[in-house]
Amino acid sequence: MLLDPHSQAILEEYRTDLPFFKEKSEELTRKVRDFLASAGIIVAAIESRVKTEASLSGKLDLKGNKYSSLADITDIIGMRVITFYIDDVDKVASALERLFDVDWENSVDKRKVHEIDSFGYLSLHYICRIPDSRYRFEVQMRTVLQHAWANMNHDTGYKSGVEVPREYLRNLNRLAGMLELVDEQFSQIRMDLTDYRRRVRALVASGNLDEVPLDGDTFKSFLALHPFDQLNRRIASVNQAEIHEQSFMPFLKVFKDLGCKTLGDISSIIRDCSEGAYQIACYQIGLTDLDIISSTIGPQDLCIAYILIQGGGKAGIKYLFDLLNGPAPSNESMAEMLVEQAGNLPFMNQ
Amino acid sequence: MEITINKSDNVTTVRMIGRLDTTAAQEIAKDMAAVEAETAGTVVLDCSEMTYISSSGLRIFLTLRKEAAVRGGKVIVKSISNDIRQVFMMTGFLNLFQIED
Repeated sequence: MLLDPHSQAILEEYRTDLPFFKEKSEELTRKVRDFLASAGIIVAAIESRVKTEASLSGKLDLKGNKYSSLADITDIIGMRVITFYIDDVDKVASALERLFDVDWENSVDKRKVHEIDSFGYLSLHYICRIPDSRYRFEVQMRTVLQHAWANMNHDTGYKSGVEVPREYLRNLNRLAGMLELVDEQFSQIRMDLTDYRRRVRALVASGNLDEVPLDGDTFKSFLALHPFDQLNRRIASVNQAEIHEQSFMPFLKVFKDLGCKTLGDISSIIRDCSEGAYQIACYQIGLTDLDIISSTIGPQDLCIAYILIQGGGKAGIKYLFDLLNGPAPSNESMAEMLVEQAGNLPFMNQ
Repeated sequence: MEITINKSDNVTTVRMIGRLDTTAAQEIAKDMAAVEAETAGTVVLDCSEMTYISSSGLRIFLTLRKEAAVRGGKVIVKSISNDIRQVFMMTGFLNLFQIED
């Protein structure tokens, strides 16, 4: 490509400073990534590139006179931050405002340029100054769906110079409208979920456990109340044992399989079966010198006591072990032993 | 207690013979520290000839499991007797380990 001398001079500047741009591109991306992570903003991707010589030559060939020097070209370094949620685009923008000096005159919010009856490219573009440098760089912020649309639109070839039939463009724009709705729905769902979690936490804190359906989220909120601690401490006191903390999450499925529909149902099991669970543990470890137990011993023995009280017998206990430990032939013999042991305990004879 | 340690490829097999009581746990501590260093891979604890396990023994197993979790490996407890399986169950540790016959 034969460029005029002015454009050729700008291209020379680019060649000289290319190592600087490459280094800065990585450094700036790292800076943004670290800042977003520390602010707890989860994004789908951060990508960056340094404009190629071919691309710059094309730009200079088209509008080289518009630029007095390379510093006037703001997208030599281009970064893109792709978020999952539409609200996070503004959060990323706030982060950039904190990190860099934003050139407001040249930054553009493409989300606001659409008329009420037009749909299409949505993205927030910031031009920021590279610290301690005369150069600037561009950051595009958009959601995964906006990104997908922009790529499809790009493929349709607005830059190719080939005129695309109106019906294709119309279809593409219809899709843009639909993706806008989908993005909004995703955000709405996230907000609804946050609301739900907040309400559940409030219900759990106020003790209205019967109103809280049992699921992964609510079970976690319940665990924050340390519902098995009292029983575990009582069991540990038998041998002055150390309690080894383990996750209680495997018991979510167990409690569900035992028919628990609400946190209140688990609470009832704790209330009604703790004495039985304690008697089982006491019988098993009381005559040993075992002085270490898992924090899951409480819920495990609670479930055993509940099953036995309900008349679930050997089959019920075997099913519990299959669930907790995975199916194994030994689960049956352990279940048999437990039923036999428990038969002699007070809670089974009241 | 007698232990033998064999390493092939990415698998370290520890064969434990006899009673793993408090004294034995102290005796094998040095060897087990070397096994901890292998927990980025797979550690198989062959318990087919282990006749007893105490709290100290359980602690050795738990330490190995913790190290494996940090280093990205796994610990397989192999061929435990019914008596030892009961100890794991009574203490609530049974579902913590991958137990194979």
